[in-house]
Amino acid sequence: MLCAAGVAKAAEQKFDTRLTAVAYDGAMRANVQGDGRVTATLDGNKLTVSGRFMALPSAATNARLYSGPGIGVPGAPLLDLQLSGQMDGSLSGSFTLNGKQLAALRQGHVYVQINSQKAPEGNLWGWLLPEHAFPGANVPEKGHGFLPQLDVPGNWVEK
Amino acid sequence: MLQSKHTRRLSWIAIGTATAAFAAFWSASLAQSAGGPFTDAQVRAGRTAYAASCAGCHQANLAGAGEQPALAGAGFMSAWGRRTTKELYDDIRAQMPYGRGGSLDAATYQNIVAFILMANGARAGSKAFDGTETIRISSIANGQVPADVATPRRAGGGDEGGAGGRAPTMALGQTLVGNIKNYAPVSDAMLVHPDPKDWLIYRGNYQAWSHSALKQVSDANVDQLQLRWSWAMNEGGENATGPTIHDGIMFLANTSNTVQALDAKTGELLWENRLGPLATRAYSALRSLAVYEDKVYINATDARLYALDAKTGKVEWKTDIAEPGKGFNETGGLIVAHGKVIVGLTLCRGQMPHCYISAYDARTGKQAWKFTTIAAPGTPGGDTWGDVPDDMRAGGETWIAGTYDPDLNITYWGTAQSKPWMQASRRSGTASTLYANSTLALDADTGQLKWYYSHAPGETFDLDEVFERVLIDHGAQKTLMTIGKAGILWKLDRVTGKFLDAKQTVFQNVYSGINKKTGQLIFRPDVLAQKTNSWISACPSAAGGHDWPPTSYDPGNDLIIIPLNQSCNMMLGHDVKQHTGVVQPEGEERLFFMPGTDGNMGRLAAYRTSTMEPVWSFQQRSSFLTGVLSTDGNLSFVGDYDRVFSAVDTKTGKTLWTVRLPTVVQGNPVTYEADGKQYIAITTGLGGGSPFSKPSSMLGELHHPDHGHAVYVFALPDKVTGKVN
Repeated sequence: MLCAAGVAKAAEQKFDTRLTAVAYDGAMRANVQGDGRVTATLDGNKLTVSGRFMALPSAATNARLYSGPGIGVPGAPLLDLQLSGQMDGSLSGSFTLNGKQLAALRQGHVYVQINSQKAPEGNLWGWLLPEHAFPGANVPEKGHGFLPQLDVPGNWVEK
Repeated sequence: MLQSKHTRRLSWIAIGTATAAFAAFWSASLAQSAGGPFTDAQVRAGRTAYAASCAGCHQANLAGAGEQPALAGAGFMSAWGRRTTKELYDDIRAQMPYGRGGSLDAATYQNIVAFILMANGARAGSKAFDGTETIRISSIANGQVPADVATPRRAGGGDEGGAGGRAPTMALGQTLVGNIKNYAPVSDAMLVHPDPKDWLIYRGNYQAWSHSALKQVSDANVDQLQLRWSWAMNEGGENATGPTIHDGIMFLANTSNTVQALDAKTGELLWENRLGPLATRAYSALRSLAVYEDKVYINATDARLYALDAKTGKVEWKTDIAEPGKGFNETGGLIVAHGKVIVGLTLCRGQMPHCYISAYDARTGKQAWKFTTIAAPGTPGGDTWGDVPDDMRAGGETWIAGTYDPDLNITYWGTAQSKPWMQASRRSGTASTLYANSTLALDADTGQLKWYYSHAPGETFDLDEVFERVLIDHGAQKTLMTIGKAGILWKLDRVTGKFLDAKQTVFQNVYSGINKKTGQLIFRPDVLAQKTNSWISACPSAAGGHDWPPTSYDPGNDLIIIPLNQSCNMMLGHDVKQHTGVVQPEGEERLFFMPGTDGNMGRLAAYRTSTMEPVWSFQQRSSFLTGVLSTDGNLSFVGDYDRVFSAVDTKTGKTLWTVRLPTVVQGNPVTYEADGKQYIAITTGLGGGSPFSKPSSMLGELHHPDHGHAVYVFALPDKVTGKVN
């Protein structure tokens, strides 16, 4: 049992993201502020999502996972998350993903989006990417550090 | 799912269109009878406020220029016709004036909106606009620009015919005549092999290394650096310059096209010539000047080339690079190679002639050659624009000074993207639109094209490949390295132009691959399927990846150190009529933070050029807004939007020294030696285009004064270096 549990743990994949304002221009800026962080664990095909948000300009109305055609490329709603709180609050969800959804997650195409009363088409968003340690501002990392380039095919020039 | 959502959206648009049509009819009727939601008094006050705070960038006739969009006419209505008066007010209040969003009082913003509405054909009414009215702009305005707006009385003096804006009120002309004794003329040999005590060329040497062999200041003592002197520069306009140093004299391209000579050791003014025109915010950052023989050369922002006597500052000769009054512009500096002054040209927007690189005899100012960077129909490369008429072929600007290989006698230049920005607006598909976004290798004596390399055929997100071309040899192999806004570091054979290698340095999602043999980029599929008036995502944003703050190459460590930006955007391209006239970028933009960066916009990274291997990188919240200067003291200096000027360990990237300066650190750090002491000089500056304006919008918690252009000069204390006389 212990051995089996250990194998299961090793198979888990962790994802995380910081929630930041959706794409905005000056006219939208006042309504798309706030901050947050979301983590997710993928165990087999079961995805567990939890996170917090804060300082929205208006009350959150819903939160969802979305999937687009690329990292940083918006797309369509995928799964509903549970939401609590208004300008500050939390979100969570547990899902069994199908093959297409799994592939999208692993390619970095899945993102969390919170909509709010004054920003019903998006207030905060963040792409779920493999958990990576951020060493802190101005702290150098060897190599190029984390580049979330998960979905480029092998024909990109890499040494 | 995407399609169904899109279909739903179309349905809503259809309903919305019918509703809007009724609303437009109703509102138009209302406008006919009662006028728009603003008063004549607001228009009058708004006209004055616009002239003071907006016209410098958007032009007195609201026609826009460069990245500054049109605020009147068809371009404005394309962007804003479907949106409301409140959205326009909120947008302007949040972001304007450029880099100073929210700095005016509410009534002034309301008045400016009233003026803009009037300038688009809306009629004043009896009710004052208070910023809350949600009236669809196309229901009260039609884009017909009144004659007194389309052809305003010239305020005079400012760049591009714009109103004075924040330009200083000072008289032009020579205010101090110099009397420099024993000035050592700068020879060709000195330019080929610069003395480390000098900083003779914009990027330090012909190869654009921005590297110095000086090592008095090193990783062992940099923590003792202290300010030795500073010099306040003109306010107004943009400042992103870098001094040139020769023989203990600092030659400075100050704003408002003022050239100054300062004692590099003490900061004493030796001569000053205010050539003019006075600077406004729009496109007035002169990145460098040049020295050769006994002259100082500067390409003023009104596209006029001057040669000044290096000893006195007097004008020796001047010549027009382009026809005055047509809006052509200079920002990128210039180089002198093999006796010729070589300059680029910017703000070429379909008006003829197209942009070109041109060369002038350094002694006489006589034009020697000209190379046009837009291929006309019937000329080599002309078919790469498809059916786009010649006077709609725009872009290909050269807004960064080129580099030079004296052995090959070739000068290398990068070109900007084609306009309009987006493929769908431009109607040129993925064609290469030569010679936009290319590397050009030109014979320095004749301007003959030796070879070109098109980095990004069909580029569509305002991702220039115009920046510095760095010349590096690996044994017998002569390479050229460059990095554009997409953040792709390119390596080419600079003898033949053959693609050798490429490396991503920041996340990007515009391209899904690259052909290993040719370097041809493969677009993300939905980028190719773009349509006008639809939003589409791009990482990096138009701020780059990499932008004008240049790289440095440390030959001892074979490292290229690169300032990088991390932001993304959604872009929307307008429908553009294929008519004769000025071509604008015709796009809209919405910004967001780059995925996976934890909200950090700045990134500094080092790559080994022989292998393209990433060696180190670090991130920070603030964007970098200076070039990098590396030295044999194992130091790399760089400055940022958050007013920090720092030195990092070139080998490891570890920050060793920082100083907080009064405002944004922007420009190009240089180093030199005078009387046995090594100095490090850097400028503070505002403006500077996308790298400055994007963080202004996104990093709301970072603040800086809206003035403070200056030069700061640092050195070690005398107790470390010995006393300097």
